[in-house]
Amino acid sequence: MPVVIACFKWVVDEAYIRRGAGGALDFSSVDYKIGEYDRNAIEEAVRLRDAGGGGSVIGVTVGAPESAKGVKDALSRGMDRAIFVSDASFRDLEPSQTAAILAEVIRTHIPQYDLVACGEGSSDLYAQQVGPRLAELLGIPCVCFVQKLSLEGGRLRAERRVEDGVEVVEAPLPALVTVLPDINTPRIPGVKDTLMAGKKPVTTVKREELTGTFGGVLKTAAMTASSLERTGEKLAADAAGIARFVDSLRKSGVIR
Amino acid sequence: MAGIWIIAETREQAFELLGAGRSLAPGMGAALTAVVAAGSASPEECIARGADEVLLLAELSPGEPYGAHLPVLEQEARAASPGVILFSAAARGKELAARLAARLGAGLCSACTALSFDKGSGSVLMERIAYGGAAIQKLTSSAAPVVVTVPPRSFAPAEAADGRQGRTRELPAPPPSAVKIVDRKPREKAAKDIAEARVIVCAGRGFDKKEDLALARELADALGGELGATRPLTEELHWLPEDLCIGLSGVQVKPELYVGLGVSGQVQHMTGVRGARVVCAVNKDENAPIFALSDFGIVGNLYEVVPKIIEAMRK
Repeated sequence: MPVVIACFKWVVDEAYIRRGAGGALDFSSVDYKIGEYDRNAIEEAVRLRDAGGGGSVIGVTVGAPESAKGVKDALSRGMDRAIFVSDASFRDLEPSQTAAILAEVIRTHIPQYDLVACGEGSSDLYAQQVGPRLAELLGIPCVCFVQKLSLEGGRLRAERRVEDGVEVVEAPLPALVTVLPDINTPRIPGVKDTLMAGKKPVTTVKREELTGTFGGVLKTAAMTASSLERTGEKLAADAAGIARFVDSLRKSGVIR
Repeated sequence: MAGIWIIAETREQAFELLGAGRSLAPGMGAALTAVVAAGSASPEECIARGADEVLLLAELSPGEPYGAHLPVLEQEARAASPGVILFSAAARGKELAARLAARLGAGLCSACTALSFDKGSGSVLMERIAYGGAAIQKLTSSAAPVVVTVPPRSFAPAEAADGRQGRTRELPAPPPSAVKIVDRKPREKAAKDIAEARVIVCAGRGFDKKEDLALARELADALGGELGATRPLTEELHWLPEDLCIGLSGVQVKPELYVGLGVSGQVQHMTGVRGARVVCAVNKDENAPIFALSDFGIVGNLYEVVPKIIEAMRK
């Protein structure tokens, strides 16, 4: 009966980020969400628990206090309990810092586990570092970019996708995996799931309870809006619009 | 001054990373070391392309993954203390870079799209994409080493020159890895590599069923281009193979022309198209974000509009 740790991050929904004056990022109308790829990690952890006939799924997240909303959201996706490492200074962490905090919390709060599941990257920074860094800090085997996974007899078997195909690998547990979006289809929580999530245990760990210094290494000098905008000429679906469309294609020199 | 390392698993990666490394080396006053996998670039090729030193990774037995090199790389990096370590942002490189950075306590700039050295401050300046493409993140590092992964085809490969000198050393075989490869399945390649396509017609959620993609293919044929897709079509619906998925977490394309059919224009997808010279769209929703991110587009039902475009092109 496997004990699976699912790591997740409560992130800004990038669809609502606007380009503000002077190219600054405008977060004034943003909403938040569980990272898209983290939903696959949670779903896979829950699936492995159920396939293993019991066990438990423990969600772990690091964030600012307002990420509490994300903890409840994550719990509605089938996990048994959550550990929330919360501090106002944990808002814009570098991946190296997030990994170090997760490692200390897992070491001090989860004495025995079989697997750590992470998404292939976070939806906001998408640096794809926290998973493999965390594996190193915990001193456990690491398999990234997994599209198929099973646990058996104290080992994992995984299909990992690489540029030239698929590597089928095995590793002893405990181990860490990062999962690709097509490993499963994350559930959409229903009203009952949301109600039940409120009753599941959440352990909140404060900054003061941790011993690490968690200093950053890199410095973010600027975070500015990227400009993907183009002229955006809208044409009607009538004969004149079609003619203009094809004419523009010709003028671009792409077709004769 | 601390050196610059490039760590490559293929010949193409080695040449591109040497190109990136050479752009930094003069400013940093640093020597360039190429750490290359057995059977990739030869030491002579690396030296001709700017490497002052070549470290050859040991050949791995078939069951050992690329990541098995980690302890050897850690040991060598600790001994040589390079200032910058460059990897290609392919699956194996990304994993190995993050694990090495963790072991060295180093910062890592993932998927770096611009890289330079500022002599005044002695810092490495880096840029990358964040928030699914909505933002550009500028990072600096003044601590050594800094690890950097570079998306394939971001930098020009280094040119070879005659008469260059360098030394070569073979690295020891690594200890057995805990992770073992028990089987390999080669990728079923799509007929064409869309990363290199001159014209791309991209199908999005606006298509009702798989059979209807024939219409997108017909337009692609008429334009002499290739078919691509958005993530939902490859990952959720499995209508097309995943190596046709365009976007930040798929293939990033640089065609002369991109035509989005029934593509809404989510930022993760459009970021994969930012290198396109001309972007156009057909979408029935006039408020679809893709219109603002296109040069021109038709607001209309693609099932009616696309046959008319093909017909008009034939005239």
